[in-house]
Amino acid sequence: MIEVKEISKNYGRKKILKGVSFTANKGEITCLIGINGVGKTTILNAIMALTPINQGQILMNGEPINEQSFEKITFIPDAITMLPSMKIEDALGFMNDFYACWNQERATELLAFFKLNKEERISSLSKGNTAKVNLLLGLALDVDYVLMDEPFSGIDIFSREEIANVFTSHLIENRGVIITTHEISDIEHLIDKVVLLDDGKVTKEFNAEEAREDEGKSVVDVMREVYRR
Amino acid sequence: MNVNFNTRDPVYLQIIRYFKEQIANGELAPGEEIPSRRELANRLKINPNTAQRAYKEMEEQNLIHTERNHPSKITTDEKVLGKVREELLVEAVDTFVTSVRSINIPVEELLNLVRTKYTKSDNKED
Amino acid sequence: MKNYLKLVNFEFNRLAKLFAVLLGITFLAQIGGVIVLSKKYLNVANERIYEDMIPKAQFIAEFGQMNFLQVARSAFFMGPIALCIAGVAFYIFLIWYRDWFGKNTFIYRLLMLPTTRLNIFYAKLTNILLLTFGFVAFQIIFLPIETTVFKWMMPSEFRNDMNVIEILQSMPELSIIFPNSFLEFILYYGAGLMVVSVLFTAILLERSFKWKGIFAGIIYSLVAVAVLISPVLLHEFVLNGFFYPIELFLLEIVMGLIIIAGSIWMSAFLLKKKITV
Repeated sequence: MIEVKEISKNYGRKKILKGVSFTANKGEITCLIGINGVGKTTILNAIMALTPINQGQILMNGEPINEQSFEKITFIPDAITMLPSMKIEDALGFMNDFYACWNQERATELLAFFKLNKEERISSLSKGNTAKVNLLLGLALDVDYVLMDEPFSGIDIFSREEIANVFTSHLIENRGVIITTHEISDIEHLIDKVVLLDDGKVTKEFNAEEAREDEGKSVVDVMREVYRR
Repeated sequence: MNVNFNTRDPVYLQIIRYFKEQIANGELAPGEEIPSRRELANRLKINPNTAQRAYKEMEEQNLIHTERNHPSKITTDEKVLGKVREELLVEAVDTFVTSVRSINIPVEELLNLVRTKYTKSDNKED
Repeated sequence: MKNYLKLVNFEFNRLAKLFAVLLGITFLAQIGGVIVLSKKYLNVANERIYEDMIPKAQFIAEFGQMNFLQVARSAFFMGPIALCIAGVAFYIFLIWYRDWFGKNTFIYRLLMLPTTRLNIFYAKLTNILLLTFGFVAFQIIFLPIETTVFKWMMPSEFRNDMNVIEILQSMPELSIIFPNSFLEFILYYGAGLMVVSVLFTAILLERSFKWKGIFAGIIYSLVAVAVLISPVLLHEFVLNGFFYPIELFLLEIVMGLIIIAGSIWMSAFLLKKKITV
C-alpha cells in the first residue's frame, strides 16, 4: 500500500499542496483527478522523492521510500526519461543495466504490443510512439507500483486506445497503479479508486464501483457535486 | 463482444446482465466456456477487478461454474437457465407496463395491440 | 560500485563526441601551426639567402635557429589548449544542466535509479577528471608527432631539436597542466578536484532552490575559499608567521580535503532531500 499522509508543498509563498492524504492499494488502479495546476504531478514527484515536501510523510508498505524502493515502485512521467539520441534498444539496454527488476521478456512483448521498432531513435518517434516507449520503460519493470502522469494526454486517439488496452491486460495485473488525469471519461470503467483534488486538498476519495452501486452516481456525477460546491 | 456501458449503473451488474441476455437468447449455450476474467476485462475495456467481481457474483447465482484451473463454464442447470429467461422477461414486461400505465389504456386493447405489433415485427425480421 | 562504474561509462559515452571534436581541433590546429610557422620561417630564410644573398650561416646567426617552442608559444598551440580548458569548464555545468533541460528530462531517470544518488555525483565528477586527463594524455601523445612533423618540415641546420620533456620544462605556463613531479600532479589535480566538487555543490544548490540557490551557491563557494585561505590569513595576520612553511602546506592540504569532504556531504544531502526535477 502507498500511503500519502498530510503532505504539504510550497512553491515560494504559494501553497500548492495543503495536507494531501490518500492511500493506493496493490491490485487497484487509483486515479488522481483535478484541474491542471492542482498539484497532481507534484504528488507523484513527491512520492518518488523527485521533489522535497514541506510537511507530511509518504510510505510504501509502511516504509519511507528510498533508492532501494525503486526496484518496487516506478514512475512514468509525461515526458520520456531517456536521451533523444538513444535508439529504443539502447534505452532498454540502459534499463537492463541498472534495474534488477527489469523484465526483458516483457519488454519484448511490449515492443510487439505497441508495434515499435527498436532500431528507431527516440528523437525521431511520433508523439504517440514516444508515449508508448515511455510507458514500456516503466511497465517492463517488475515492480509492485506504477505511477503514471497523464498517460492519455496529448496523443492521438489510436495511441490512446492502445494505451488503455494496457490497463486491462496482464501487464497491469496485481500491481498498484496511480494515474493522474484531468479527463476522466476515457477511463471511467477502468479505474477502481478516485481521489478528487481541489485547491491543494483531497476533496473526496471513493471507489468508483461503490459510487455507482450505492448511490447510482457515475464518477462524473460525483465530480460535479464536489466541484460545484 | 461489445457492450455499451452506461456510467451510472455498477459495471459488474451490467456485465451480469449482458451474460444473462446472451444466455436467454441462446448466444451462450449451457456448458459453454466463457472468457477468463482477464480476457473479459480486456475485451470490454473494463477494470479486471470489476470483471472478477462480476464472475464471483455469477458463481454465487449459479450462472457459471468454475473448477480449479479450468475456464469458467455456463451452467447446465435447467432450473437456473429457466429462471434467467423468466427474470429478463419479467423485468422487460415490468418496464413496459410502467411506461404504458401512464397512458391509461384498457388491458384488452393493449394486449391486442401488443399481439399485432409483436407478430408484425416477427414477420418483418423473417 | 558496479552502478557507479556503469554510470561513469554511460556519462563518458555522452561526452565522447565533444571530447573527440576538441581533440581533433587541437591536433589539426597544432599540426597546422607547425606547418604554417615552419613555412613562414623557411620563406624568410629563402628570401634572405636566395634574394638578399646573405650566407646561410650569417642568417642563422642573425635570425637564430627555429625551435619547437616558437610553435608551442603560438596561438596555434595555446589556442586549442585554452579551448579545451574552456570546454572542461563549460562541461562542468553542462554535465548537470543538460539532464534537466529539453523535453526529454533525463534527470527523472537518473534520480529514479535504484542506486544511491551520490553515485550520479561521483560519476559526473569522474568524467570531468577523465575529460581533463584525456586532454592531457592526448597532448602528450600529440607532442612527439608534432615534433616529428617539425623535423620533416625543417632542414636540420635551421632547427634546434628539443624532446617532449625539454619542451614542457621550458614552458612554466603549462606546468599546471603538465606537472613536473608526482607531488605537483597530486596537488594541482587535487586542487582541481576540489574546485569541481565545490562548483558541483553550487550547481546542486541552484537546482534545489532555484534563485535562492544561486545565492546559496555563491555563498557556499565563498565559504570554501575562506576555509581554504584561513590558515594563510591566520598565519599572516593573527599568529605573526607562527607556522613553518611545511606546516602551512600540510594545513592547506587538510583544508582542501575538508572542502572536498564537505562538498560531497552537502551534495549527498541535496540529492537525497532537496533536489527537484
